[in-house]
Amino acid sequence: MTPKDIRTKIQTTKRTHKVTRAMEAVSAVRMRTAQRTALADRPYARAAFSILTRLSGSAGFSRHPLTSVRVIRTVALVIFTSDRGLAGSLNSGVLKAAMGAISPYPKEAVVVYAYGKKGEEHFIRRGYRIIRAFANKNDAVEISVMEELSEELAREFARGTYDKVIVAYSNFKSTFEQTPTVRQLLPLVVADVKQLVEDIVPEKGRWSETQTAASSNAYTVEPDDNDVLDRLAPRLVAVSFYHMLLEAKASEHSSRMVAMKNASDKSEEIARDLTILFNKVRQAGITREISEIVGGREALAA
Amino acid sequence: MMKTFHLTITRIGETIFDGDAVSVSFPGKEGVFEVLAEHEALISLLSEGELRIKTTSGETRHFEIPHGGIAEIALNQATVLL
Repeated sequence: MTPKDIRTKIQTTKRTHKVTRAMEAVSAVRMRTAQRTALADRPYARAAFSILTRLSGSAGFSRHPLTSVRVIRTVALVIFTSDRGLAGSLNSGVLKAAMGAISPYPKEAVVVYAYGKKGEEHFIRRGYRIIRAFANKNDAVEISVMEELSEELAREFARGTYDKVIVAYSNFKSTFEQTPTVRQLLPLVVADVKQLVEDIVPEKGRWSETQTAASSNAYTVEPDDNDVLDRLAPRLVAVSFYHMLLEAKASEHSSRMVAMKNASDKSEEIARDLTILFNKVRQAGITREISEIVGGREALAA
Repeated sequence: MMKTFHLTITRIGETIFDGDAVSVSFPGKEGVFEVLAEHEALISLLSEGELRIKTTSGETRHFEIPHGGIAEIALNQATVLL
């Protein structure tokens, strides 16, 4: 390589470095926004869960249309992925977990709701039936879209079109740890909702402080359990769903942030190595030129 | 000094009110009821109507809840889910 080639390469590497650094910073901000949104919604999830826990013991609970456990003929899979790549192993992990979850069922028994292009492409390629697909572009989550979607899922479940609804997403634990997660949305199971509410709090970092939950079994319920449950169940599905999406968003941004950080570090390293190489080559050139001049002069003097 | 309790009014994705209150009147399914501090644990379905909150500063604030909601009250904390 000539010194000129090396210099061009150094410049390119530095330019890449700038881009990855910028993407890292942007992802960091977006991750924090997603985390904050998720936390802002915690009181809702917590209260909804307290009510659910209180009602779960009642006779009406197991008879409610959204809790009925049936023989599974059709499974609806909701998959949250990102629209774009450069996010490390985020999407492949989620897709793998999703494929694992639907593996017991034949392809015809699975329908897919894809939120995010990566998931959509994956399932189209494999010949699954996609019912609806959404782009996962904005950070501002359209709550109306989520509510509409969760209403649709609840309605179709109650009607018997789907016998089970599962969601595959990436659960945000900390900036460096996101776990691909598959969770059952319908039928409603108290243990699953509990897990979800607990997951809202990240394991460590600035948002990890926990709020003491009211654990009271002595609730009076008005007018009665069934009426409250009728109102609560669809809301609970919606809030669970919304949270899974927020987790997915926070995961996407932190995963991308870490991937971009690695890329930035690597490009810095390459630029350094190239600079050393450049200096060596340049020095070799100078040495050669000097010895040529000296050699030439001695030849003349002889 | 009046006893107060913490009130949160929230819908999915946003918290509408979060603060201390002296008393709140709820449009319950079976009639309006009023909650003060140290209220017993209660879960109640709310009809469409209006929440009237007496805040610590003495003023009264009104919140329309056009589609009703659910109130959960326990351990001096009231949460309204719209």
